[in-house]
Amino acid sequence: MPNVIQYIIRRLILVVVLMWIVSMVTFAIFFLIPSATGTSPAVLFAGKAPTPDTVKSVEIKFGLKDSIPVQYAHFVEGIFVGRHFDNGADKSYCPPPCLGFSFVNNQPVWNEITSDLPVTLSLAAGASIMWLVSGTAIGVLSALKRRSFFDRAAMGLALAGVSLPIYFTGLVLLDLISYNWQILPNVHYVGFTDNPLSWARNMLLPWISLTFLYAALYARLTRAGMLETMSEDYIRTARAKGLSESRVITRHALRAALTPIVTIFGLDLGQLLGGAILTEYTFGLIGIGHLSIDAISRQDLPVIMGVTLFAAFFIVFANLVVDVLYAFVDPRVRYS
Amino acid sequence: MRRNRLVRYGTATAVLALLVAGCGSSSSGGNNATPKPKAADNVFNAGTTGIRNVSAKKGGTLNFIADGDCDYWDPARTYYGFCWDMQRLFSRGLMAYAAAPGDAGLNVVPDLATAQGSSPDGKNWTYHLKSGIKFEDGSPVTSKNIKYGIERVFAQSVINGGPTYVITFLCPGPINNSGGCDAYKGPYADTDPNHLGLSTIDTPDDNTIVFHLNKVVGDWNYIMALPASTPVPIAYDQSPKGGAHYTDHPYSTGPYKFDTYTAGKSLTLVRNPMWSSGNDPFRKALPDKIVFTVDANDDDIDQRIFTNIADVNIAGTGVQPTAQTKILTNPTLKARADNPVTGATRYLAIESKVAPFDNVHCRRAVQYAVSKVDWQTARGGPIGGGQVATSMLNPTVKGYTQFDAYPDNNGNGDVAKAKQELAACGKPNGFTTHLASQNSGKGTRVATAVQAALKRVGINAIIDLGNAATYYSQFIGAPAVNRSKGRGLMVAGWGADWPTGYGFFSSLIDGRKILPQGNSNYSETNDPKINQMIDQAVATTDANKAGQIWGEVDKQLMTVDATLVPMTWDKALVINSQNVTNAYILSSLLGIYDFQALGHV
Amino acid sequence: MTAPLDVQGSATEAQPEAVLGGVEAKAIEGRSLGQIAWMRLKRDKLAIVGGIVVILLLLIAIFAGVISSLAGQDPYAYHSNLIDPNLSTPKGGFGGMSLDHLLGVEPISGRDIFSRILYGARVSMIIAFLATGVSVIIGVSVGVVAGYFGGVVDQLLSRLMDLLLAFPLLLFAIALVYVIGDSSLVGLSDNNTRIFVLVIIIGFFNWPYIGRIIRGQTLSLREKEYIEAARSLGASSPRILFREILPNLVGPILVYSTLIIPTNILFEAALSFLGVGVRPPQASWGAMLSDAAQGLFQIDPEYMIVPGAALFITVIAFNLFGDGLRDALDPRSNR
Repeated sequence: MPNVIQYIIRRLILVVVLMWIVSMVTFAIFFLIPSATGTSPAVLFAGKAPTPDTVKSVEIKFGLKDSIPVQYAHFVEGIFVGRHFDNGADKSYCPPPCLGFSFVNNQPVWNEITSDLPVTLSLAAGASIMWLVSGTAIGVLSALKRRSFFDRAAMGLALAGVSLPIYFTGLVLLDLISYNWQILPNVHYVGFTDNPLSWARNMLLPWISLTFLYAALYARLTRAGMLETMSEDYIRTARAKGLSESRVITRHALRAALTPIVTIFGLDLGQLLGGAILTEYTFGLIGIGHLSIDAISRQDLPVIMGVTLFAAFFIVFANLVVDVLYAFVDPRVRYS
Repeated sequence: MRRNRLVRYGTATAVLALLVAGCGSSSSGGNNATPKPKAADNVFNAGTTGIRNVSAKKGGTLNFIADGDCDYWDPARTYYGFCWDMQRLFSRGLMAYAAAPGDAGLNVVPDLATAQGSSPDGKNWTYHLKSGIKFEDGSPVTSKNIKYGIERVFAQSVINGGPTYVITFLCPGPINNSGGCDAYKGPYADTDPNHLGLSTIDTPDDNTIVFHLNKVVGDWNYIMALPASTPVPIAYDQSPKGGAHYTDHPYSTGPYKFDTYTAGKSLTLVRNPMWSSGNDPFRKALPDKIVFTVDANDDDIDQRIFTNIADVNIAGTGVQPTAQTKILTNPTLKARADNPVTGATRYLAIESKVAPFDNVHCRRAVQYAVSKVDWQTARGGPIGGGQVATSMLNPTVKGYTQFDAYPDNNGNGDVAKAKQELAACGKPNGFTTHLASQNSGKGTRVATAVQAALKRVGINAIIDLGNAATYYSQFIGAPAVNRSKGRGLMVAGWGADWPTGYGFFSSLIDGRKILPQGNSNYSETNDPKINQMIDQAVATTDANKAGQIWGEVDKQLMTVDATLVPMTWDKALVINSQNVTNAYILSSLLGIYDFQALGHV
Repeated sequence: MTAPLDVQGSATEAQPEAVLGGVEAKAIEGRSLGQIAWMRLKRDKLAIVGGIVVILLLLIAIFAGVISSLAGQDPYAYHSNLIDPNLSTPKGGFGGMSLDHLLGVEPISGRDIFSRILYGARVSMIIAFLATGVSVIIGVSVGVVAGYFGGVVDQLLSRLMDLLLAFPLLLFAIALVYVIGDSSLVGLSDNNTRIFVLVIIIGFFNWPYIGRIIRGQTLSLREKEYIEAARSLGASSPRILFREILPNLVGPILVYSTLIIPTNILFEAALSFLGVGVRPPQASWGAMLSDAAQGLFQIDPEYMIVPGAALFITVIAFNLFGDGLRDALDPRSNR
């Protein structure tokens, strides 16, 4: 077990290093390139017809005149101890973890992220359960009934699923189910704690769209994994021992086939939590993905920075969890 | 559907135009009476001339909805039309727009003031306050609070975003090159211990305020109807909760006050017990509560209004194509809808300093070549988009005379005439130029429409798309950049900040107001004759005469300079839920419903 | 196999191993590999259909201008007269389909959809193919170097690939287009600049996937006897790389390229959908869908269905063909 702990610590260090590099690269892209092209981010914050005076005071307040490394240092410092943005009487405080201060909405980026997070969480949680269950179930059935009509239909559908962009699937579903048949409401986020039923009814279309997209892949992978393991020797042995077919499938074949599924699931979930941009955009859900697109189109640099780091964190963290889990699940993996 | 939220007019530089139809100063004298409510039949567009569902019933909750939050709730910082309308619910200024449908709504009436401001010379303006006005915490409102509120606008490093006319006219020293005031920097940097150091405003007693302007301004009563003339509590604003954070909870003097507010999400307004209807000239204060929710999905907003879940789309920019189809094909729905002219003119600015547009014939070629009908279709057609414009001034304007300097085959363009002008310009085979527009749905569509129309005469326009959020301030607001990038054509929209010719034309074509940054004279029009006519009109206190001059300015601009190509006068198709009573369009604020008058069935 | 393009890249990362796991092992054995593969491919009817569609698409992309002018249509011309001015929708049913306008006209502008679909195909193909080229060049170079030299070099390059995979890709791509998309580069005119930027961005974000596979392949090839033999005969590293290893990687490179193209098509469409793809008035399927999504699909569903179908057919054709090619080159995965 100390091996495991060592391994985890090593991975954690790697996570920190990765996050550090991601943050530096992001910072460079958004602060170096605009300054090279000669636009000051302060202009945006300074209102619609800013005078040079206004721009100057905004630059002072947010320290935009400091050199890029100094700005970066302040940024990192803010994450741990918070930051004060002062310019004379104009004071703003950004408590830790301070990911910056939104130019446009005039509030800490962290607040924006946390207020949009429930939408993304709901989206990712519901959809991931749906696609995981349906994807693996279809995959197992397809593998067991290989070359049957069901198998062919399911794999055809799976191919269609990965070939259709979510915004198209989403729009078709919206048009038919919500607009023409009015079975489900026009997607509109309702807090889970406000009204769980309404929450689910509203999230159902985005969930289905995401499921159609992801379940396809999971079904294909499960099927392939099952077929592969079913031909392995130990399955034959298990059968020869006289184990029931259902036991062979669930205990042995499925288990082995699921290992890669777990890996991918962790990564997909990590990516989704960082913002399902297209899904949120298609359905008009204001989650992390929508926040990031808005921030980019308004050039709200601190928000872009914050969201990118936030999303990267989920991805890196999911990677870590997957690796560690994998190490537990699959004895062949060594912690080295 | 989503991106439209960045295209609201509010995001356009200086907001809304709306020129006075009845003459502004004709409403002089102390006539405080609210215009008699005129009930409207339940027919299409009835809310533009009368009041729909007249009712005096109090109580209930009105649900407001929009695809974005206000830029600021701070009265000195907001610059969105619908936010100015929202301000009427909780802030009272010296003056306010009359609460009436139709042209009557273009007039200003005294709100906190006892009467219209009076001035013997057009430079020194005196107002007296009504007695018994209180802030939401019960403390009395004095003339010093109003002075303080106006002083805040001078603190541009903190209180930015809003209109800055008071700086221009009240700066104790000269106005610097960038339009700022070096002599007074606002109450946060004030040497006066009471933060009332602006020498050009006197408060001889708690009920009197006197403005000493640096030039004659006939429209001062209109400027005092801008939200920034609302009183601000000095101690509170100087505390950490004030200043830049005042926008999170502006102190109410109106019938409603802030209860809870989450930026970018929602706002709840509840009754303000300190407000009394006795000294308010018009506010109805019918519902007990008003809840405003932001919903990024425009189609969802329409859907919610149709199903009476939400009551009013306060952005007022009109319904989406889906809802438009629904309304126009369903007589019952259509009878509930209104189609006001919003007052903004959509136009194409021709940068007269970019070759070959330094030659008037090349500018005229564009005037003839564009297809205003295609532009209109791109903006949503005659109902959802707007009506084809033949001149820059809106038809509602005093002094507007119908004329068309470039008759063009019913708005489709006159290709032959355009080619003649091109030949006269020395470019018979056309030329290549750049066309700037916003990277939003309509911005892109309009640009491609112009591009396709110009291609017919050989003008090849390369489209440069700018961010909607910074389009006016950064993208086309710097003439030097436009010149260096060869941007000969720029898609723009314009409305004035108050309904007279001054607000409409002054920043748009005054050759002396070409700023290096944040410029609004995109075409760099600098015609001495126009400049001289502007000065003449501003100093004219007789609104009728001023209106005539503005009409002449329009003609001079169109025929001689030809630097702006008027395309459409905006219209919007709007509808409320069936819960809403007392609805009518307030013409002075972008043609949106007058929120303070609305009630719940 | 295409990445579910919500959060770009997500599953693609794992897919190479999963889907191409077989290729890694022994795709490259046997002398007449090409012939064997071709025989196998011929038997796979779906793959053949996919291949034919791919070839047709390429022809359409190349001759978009000729075909649309034969049809007498200009993809950029407005036809306001075909639009109901109050409703913004095409007059007549079925999205304004007629003999003149085979696939109807766009709502609002009245532009001919048929010719815009053709030009959109061109944009899609150019971007997808060039971006794939970029990915393959970077991915193969890095993968081969990492796999062949191993040790510290491998460690560094592998971590670099991990790092890139940790970026929220779609978000980053959008932001990059915003930041550099409008700068004028190396004398290219505006629309070409944007295409160039898109190619670079899409290509750049995809190379780690191919890099990982090539690294794995190279690792196993390096241990092969004939490489050992070449080395002991004193062949230089470049010689071994170019003469011995690269030729043996052609198979997986081909397969992977075919499979990455649809991903790139979807990536371009997604960027256009989000408003950061090619610039108007150039046609793009993603941009058309984006337009339809802005409240138009409910009043004119044809406008959503036509580009959606074009995208679907293209992507599925490439996927079928790619799957078939992989199966043909790798008997093990041929189930």
